[in-house]
Amino acid sequence: MSSHLIDFALLEQAVHNLPGDALHPVRENALAAFGQSEFPDQRQEDWKYTNLAPAATLSNAWLRKRSSAPGPQPSALLQQQIDQTVAEIPAKWIVIANGFVETGSLRDLAAQQPAGLTVRSAAESAHLPTVVTEDVMSRFNATLIRDVLHIQVAANQEIDEPIGILVIDDASDETSVTQTRIVIELEENSCANFIELHATAGSNQQFANCVCNMRLAQGAKARYVRVQDRGLQQYQVGRLTAQLERNSELKHAAFDLGGALIRNDIDIDIREPGASVELLGLYLASGRQHIDNHTRVDHCVGPATSREEYRGILNDRARCVFNGKAIVHAGADGTDARQSNHNLLLSDRAEIDTKPELEIYADDVKCSHGATVGQLDPKALFYLRSRGLDQSEAARALTRAFAETIVERTPVEEVRPYIQTIVDRKLQSLIDGEPE
Amino acid sequence: MLEIRDLHVRIGTTDILTGLTLTVNAGEVHAIMGPNGSGKSTLAQVIAGHEDYLVTSGSVTFLGRNLLELDPEERARLGLFLGFQYPVEIPGVNNAYLLKAALNARRKERGETEIDAFEFLQLAREKMTLLDMDPALLNRSVNEGFSGGEKKRNEILQMAVLEPLLAILDETDSGLDIDALKAVSKGVNAMRHPDRAIILVTHYQRLLGYVEPDFVHVLSKGQIVRSGDKSLAIQLEDMGYDWIREAAAG
Amino acid sequence: MSTQPNDIETLVNRRYKHGFITDIDSDSLPPGLDEEVVRAISLRKNEPEFMLQWRLKAYRHWLTMQEPDWAHVHYPKIDYKSISYFSAPRSDKDRPKSLDEVDPKLLETYDKLGIPLHERARLAGVAVDAVFDSVSVATTFKAKLSEAGVIFCPFSEAVTKHPELVRKYLGSVVPYRDNFFATLNSAVFSDGSFVYVPKGVRCPMELSTYFRINAANTGQFERTLIIADEDSHVSYLEGCTAPMRDENQLHAAVVELVALEGAQIKYSTVQNWYPGDENGKGGIYNFVTKRGDCRGDNSKISWTQVETGSAITWKYPSCILRGENSVGEFYSVAVANNMQQADTGTKMIHIGRNSRSTIVSKGISAGRAQNAYRGLVRVMPQAANARNHTQCDSLLIGNECGAHTFPYMEIRNPTAKIEHEATTSKISADQLFYCRQRGISEEDAVNMIVNGFCKQVFRELPMEFAVEAQALMNVSLEGAVG
Repeated sequence: MSSHLIDFALLEQAVHNLPGDALHPVRENALAAFGQSEFPDQRQEDWKYTNLAPAATLSNAWLRKRSSAPGPQPSALLQQQIDQTVAEIPAKWIVIANGFVETGSLRDLAAQQPAGLTVRSAAESAHLPTVVTEDVMSRFNATLIRDVLHIQVAANQEIDEPIGILVIDDASDETSVTQTRIVIELEENSCANFIELHATAGSNQQFANCVCNMRLAQGAKARYVRVQDRGLQQYQVGRLTAQLERNSELKHAAFDLGGALIRNDIDIDIREPGASVELLGLYLASGRQHIDNHTRVDHCVGPATSREEYRGILNDRARCVFNGKAIVHAGADGTDARQSNHNLLLSDRAEIDTKPELEIYADDVKCSHGATVGQLDPKALFYLRSRGLDQSEAARALTRAFAETIVERTPVEEVRPYIQTIVDRKLQSLIDGEPE
Repeated sequence: MLEIRDLHVRIGTTDILTGLTLTVNAGEVHAIMGPNGSGKSTLAQVIAGHEDYLVTSGSVTFLGRNLLELDPEERARLGLFLGFQYPVEIPGVNNAYLLKAALNARRKERGETEIDAFEFLQLAREKMTLLDMDPALLNRSVNEGFSGGEKKRNEILQMAVLEPLLAILDETDSGLDIDALKAVSKGVNAMRHPDRAIILVTHYQRLLGYVEPDFVHVLSKGQIVRSGDKSLAIQLEDMGYDWIREAAAG
Repeated sequence: MSTQPNDIETLVNRRYKHGFITDIDSDSLPPGLDEEVVRAISLRKNEPEFMLQWRLKAYRHWLTMQEPDWAHVHYPKIDYKSISYFSAPRSDKDRPKSLDEVDPKLLETYDKLGIPLHERARLAGVAVDAVFDSVSVATTFKAKLSEAGVIFCPFSEAVTKHPELVRKYLGSVVPYRDNFFATLNSAVFSDGSFVYVPKGVRCPMELSTYFRINAANTGQFERTLIIADEDSHVSYLEGCTAPMRDENQLHAAVVELVALEGAQIKYSTVQNWYPGDENGKGGIYNFVTKRGDCRGDNSKISWTQVETGSAITWKYPSCILRGENSVGEFYSVAVANNMQQADTGTKMIHIGRNSRSTIVSKGISAGRAQNAYRGLVRVMPQAANARNHTQCDSLLIGNECGAHTFPYMEIRNPTAKIEHEATTSKISADQLFYCRQRGISEEDAVNMIVNGFCKQVFRELPMEFAVEAQALMNVSLEGAVG
């Protein structure tokens, strides 16, 4: 057994103490696999810039006193925030609170009887979808999961209204650790839009580990927007895996505004020809926030297209990491992969570490990547000033415009006004500075 | 000059040319017309020696030599020129450099000395003026970032400099605005010569209004189904290809 | 007549031109490495005590280190005990005073390599400090250089004649504990070149050294140190070629450059070590540490490299941009054919205000080769207005090779402006057909496209090198297309 930052004996005990429900064998298997894997540390290339030790420490503390972990019933505070958020964005909402799919939201959804849409909770229905545990944090997630949200869209069905998934955790009075797992399957030629919203109620430290496994069957289309607006004490590790089958299409946008230590991984597996994927990202960090985005697109076959653009604005002592990897496997001819990452640093204590990577093993491909770190374009600044804006007004306008290029491409219309509002709020504090 | 006898050509498992026969003599201008998929471009590519096409039977002779056993560059050095429908971009390779290398390969074949840089530039500039081309294009990478019209003019420039004995222009008129079409036509007409033959491969009659052909052939399903003079092209323009198809079927 | 990729590959397979072994008895130490070997090397070279102590520190530190495994290369474990750490031509004891005294066999070797010392050096006005195996055997143009006050001599000579300079600068850019291979080099380095250009002096000629590995089972550990004093200029050329051999040979050189205020150093390399045969048998392991320190304000260091040889290349010529307004440049062409593996790139560490760097990397992969660019641009908080532009292009020939890009950018200053661009392209059958239809042979077309791809780098090379480099590219890619 390899050495762990996680106290393995405590973890083992915690797993054994959980109820013998349908998820029990999943946890046991994951525990064994987790024991064989290295917990992330900065000697690993993938974790070079991100130190997950504080999250491990928090997890150990939580494991020690986990009898007081929040149960399936959301607190009044949590419920209040849920109601507020859900009212703000038009969607079919499902709530995952403290790692449990909230039954009320499931019932509400079922009452609407949406054609072609099946939404189930593993804890409720004893129905168990396949749970991917290929990397260490997904294993950690599966070791402690209490529930799985399973969404299926039937073949040839088009779901008009977006499906909203609110992932919310209670950090009002407890130091807590939660594991959220979502499994989404889009059958042949189906089409659906998703909003995944991450929030925290309360301001204590909390560690959330969220994994979403998607599969897009032939011809399926998904638009997916993930918004993370956690509290500033929050640690979060998130992973999205997506399998893209023939001619399927995924448009994904990720917005990270909150959190103390955030690490997102996206793994796109293009396994059949004709698939296309677009990954957009915007991260806005201030104070001592640390936001790390890792994306990986495996072009196993061609032709297929991937497009990626991530942008970030950093102030104060924020540190952000971008690592975009496109791998074109042998024989994946006809691959067209483009990737870019642009950053604005607003403070002399902020740091961006960016690494756009290409690994190419086929020759009939079009691949490019670019990354920039820099200031606002002096020509554009001058132009605005010549039109009568003062220096700081002009700088604000251009900083907003820098973020706007991602916001305006948000693939799910319904959530755009909400994103616009929270991005504006965050930008305001980024540009005007906020106390550390 | 060019003798094609009962040519059968296949790409993959599909038969494209199914017994095509054509004779072209020096000094003649031939137009080969036909609907999409009739095999026009295939014919041009096969004559130039593209490897994707498999000649299953028939013969092609050029200046009395069996063309089919020659490499593409050998054919070019003998004086065969193909104006590409989609001229390729070659980043990093200077347009003038390619043109000079091509010209010297042709001169060497004819037992002439290599052209010097000064003479070459003079020649290229003179031809560019004729084609109304921006001289700056000479110093750019081959076709890279050229507009559609610039690419086609560049093909005609290469033809003008290389002075081939047989020029095949594959859809040289497609995608050109009226000014570019006039410039290209001017370039082609300037190349008409008793020692030279020109084959225009085209879908529309438009170009033929500017470059008058001696013969017009209509290609359908891999064979020449009708030949005539320039009035055939006008007839086609009026009645469309269906008329030929019906006539061929009937 | 074919433009299929596999045919394209057969075009390249010309035998290595420089594959031969000179038949000279070598005065070698038996294989193996311990403190006694380190002492023996130092003793044979009549080194002062400080050198021996430095070597021993390095050796002891090396014992605590592990061989790195992060590069995108794969090779069997090296047995450091089977390597002989010292070998010198027999005629070493009475070193030649002039070319006439040089072993005619050696001169013949240089002739075969196309480096006729006595003619070419004079014609080109190049002073040549040729390293044959581990000991320098011939130096010319010394008079002209010493007139200008430039010191250009074998490293071992500098250790005894200019110990104060060696002591001051050796290990000041690449410390003995820097990395596994540099530390090994620090312990056992045999010889190399030493250059000192005094204040305000523009070196009157290009300096060059040709390296060559001979003697079976001999790893070679050159050490080069170039110091450009205030407001001086120097251009240094390094070219390599090695004989054909079945066993892999380790080459772990260290190059240190120091540019003081207002000084400029241009370091150009054409590396053509034996790459191994078509099946990956034999070939040199080229694990090199090259680093330049722009120590003074307004200083500039420029690396240009054309890497066509070696079975494995692991090399990141770097610049530490310490001085204000200092400039670092890296221009690279790396060709990997057959079973070659290249992992190369640069590091630009911006410390000084207004420091600027430019990176242009052109990687060409053919056969079953793997070619990786690995680069780091780091901007420290104090490096206000730092600028970097990186252009990183890959050209693939055939569909069994790989081209990889791993650029690291670590930016800690808001006024920095950093740009990285990378593209991948291939030589397409359509391009080749187009050229052939214009009467240009396939081989010429490939050379034309490859040279066009590399143009941006070749034009940074000194004139006589640029021509050689272009020819070398054509030889290296022969059979890559066909």
